[in-house]
Amino acid sequence: MTWIRRRFRPEQIRELSLLVLILAAVLFFGTQVENYYSPRTFVRITTSVAILVVMAVGQTLVVLTRNIDLSVGSIVGFTAYFVGTMLARNNEMSPAAAVLLAVGVGTAMGAVNGAIIAYGRVPAIITTLGTLAIYRTLLVEFANAQTVITASLPGWVIDLPRVNLLSVGGLDVRLMVGVALLVVFLFQLLLSYLRYGRLLYAIGSNPDAAQFVGLSVQRTVFLAYLLCGALTGLAGFMFLARFGNITVVAGQGMELQVVAAVVVGGVNIFGGSGSMLGALLGTVLIATLEQSLLRWAQISEFWRDAILGLLILLAIAADAVILERLRALWARAHQAG
Amino acid sequence: MKRLWTSLAALLILALVIGACAAPAPPAAAPAEEPAPAEEAEPAQEEAPAAEGAPAVDMVLLPKFLGILVFDQAYQGAQEAHQEIGNPGKLEFLGPTPENSVQGQIEIVTTAATQGMDAIMISNNAGDQIVPAAKAAKEAGMTVVTWDSPIPSAEGEDLFVAQVDFDETGKVMAEMALSILGEDGGKLAILSASPDAANQNAWNAAFQEVLETDPKYANLELVDLVYGNDQSEDSYNQALALVDKYPDLELIMAPTTVGIAAAAKAMQDEGLCDKVKVSGLGLPAEMVSYTLNGCAPEFALWSFKDLGYLTYYVTYLLATGQIEAQEGVTFEAGRMGSYTIEKDPTRDRGLRVLMGPFTIYTAENVEEAAK
Repeated sequence: MTWIRRRFRPEQIRELSLLVLILAAVLFFGTQVENYYSPRTFVRITTSVAILVVMAVGQTLVVLTRNIDLSVGSIVGFTAYFVGTMLARNNEMSPAAAVLLAVGVGTAMGAVNGAIIAYGRVPAIITTLGTLAIYRTLLVEFANAQTVITASLPGWVIDLPRVNLLSVGGLDVRLMVGVALLVVFLFQLLLSYLRYGRLLYAIGSNPDAAQFVGLSVQRTVFLAYLLCGALTGLAGFMFLARFGNITVVAGQGMELQVVAAVVVGGVNIFGGSGSMLGALLGTVLIATLEQSLLRWAQISEFWRDAILGLLILLAIAADAVILERLRALWARAHQAG
Repeated sequence: MKRLWTSLAALLILALVIGACAAPAPPAAAPAEEPAPAEEAEPAQEEAPAAEGAPAVDMVLLPKFLGILVFDQAYQGAQEAHQEIGNPGKLEFLGPTPENSVQGQIEIVTTAATQGMDAIMISNNAGDQIVPAAKAAKEAGMTVVTWDSPIPSAEGEDLFVAQVDFDETGKVMAEMALSILGEDGGKLAILSASPDAANQNAWNAAFQEVLETDPKYANLELVDLVYGNDQSEDSYNQALALVDKYPDLELIMAPTTVGIAAAAKAMQDEGLCDKVKVSGLGLPAEMVSYTLNGCAPEFALWSFKDLGYLTYYVTYLLATGQIEAQEGVTFEAGRMGSYTIEKDPTRDRGLRVLMGPFTIYTAENVEEAAK
């Protein structure tokens, strides 16, 4: 115990409390939903979060700098539609080219956000609310009332959601889930060990101080939006593969899901603290609650959203209490030592 | 250099503030206005003199929102009727953006009235919230016709052009369910759009009614009704949840084009197509691959082009006073023949014109229709 106390600060093991909450949810719904402890539940939950996790990683980068990106729902929709159209026109396009195209489109949209916010000094919430509407309108114009249809896409795109990375006794880890986990892992490394990652925390903790000591605030924030756009573009490609038919409403409302997941994951909305692992666990917690409620026969359709909201609030409150306890524990140990 | 950046920033801020204030609300009308008058209304006006003395009526076709294929098809039908009649007035296709559907629709109805348009044709997505705006439009002398989805209370509306009889929808769905599940029947569930869509609710009610009352369908057991909110994501998750909740489920019936396609994709992704079939109302182009691979062997739809055509005709006749919105009035609608205005049996009040019928799509005819 002392070893743990000496090694870590409470904030660093706050992910533990999220794990406890996920475990509690799984234990509870195990008693309520028939056949809950099956590999199938695992597959359902993991596949349903893959897209959101990739977006949450991008959002975390931005939120760490005390900014926000609300335009991601429209970026996902636009990239999914754009790449879908290109693939429909040219079925021969290689998978790598298609993914690069999606990432490229997302990056460009993220760059617009970043330029306006970092160099134009316009508040992030205003900028991205504006681009949320602008990107969606671009999509409506570009789409010209046509739908990207499954039949027009090359087979490998449609079959992508089915591809298993590994499968042990029905416990499938799908390729898209693997991609999401890889993204989390790589960006967690970036946050922990690269100078750029530490800069994000420094700027988010105190933007003015960061400016005074000569950190490149503008460039860092710009780059955060760029990366967020790139990851959201990747998520757009995954969206295309998962749903096949893409209309102008694709990805609508996802921005709020992502922000909710990131906040539940303990990423401070005022910047400066949080981790990719937390964002992942936050997304998984919400998805676990959502998927379990869908299968809980006791709950009527109309109460589900309200209960989901309540559970999320409970989770955040519980998280705060657990963290408070941990802090007290640490403080006492510190005094004693 | 510094100066340049400052002024650039100032410019951006200005643009952004204007953009941010203007963006969320007015895009409603903005994107639509460009294509409509530029590409469509003008050529129509040029051709107008050909038809001798057709009175001018300025008309607005208002879809639930822009960017969806079926509404565009309805617009094509309306354009066809517009040119056939030779209306020297203009036909505008105005719709809100998807995320602003309800507010945007109300705004467009209000604007149309203040701008002195003569008639508006609404595919209502705002429930009864649109009533005050529709009433104001009528008081301003406009003809207000709904199509695709009516105003539930019928207040503020002259009449409703129904694509198909709502009871008929119930029967067609039951018939498809029977043909997929066979005589010995099985369990099925409905995946609907949203709980406040008037047409969806009416179809589901009719479907349930047929299943309960007609002994022919006694072996079909309806186990659940869930909503996917016309979002791919929600519908996809709901479809899989249904399969998990009811291990012996054999059919998902989705009377929504978004829902049916998402459900079919979910079954295909999870390798469930042999066990659970998908059916309902769908677009041939979106469904063709699922019909051919057996995930969705049978589904139905009507022609949205015809719906737009018929809606335009009846609205024009009403606006020019050639017919009145009263029970029993009969009129000719160009190539589609003769129709009669009747009491709407699916609402407490209100009049309707019934179009019909359904086309059933199977592996035999879906490829042809998808082109």
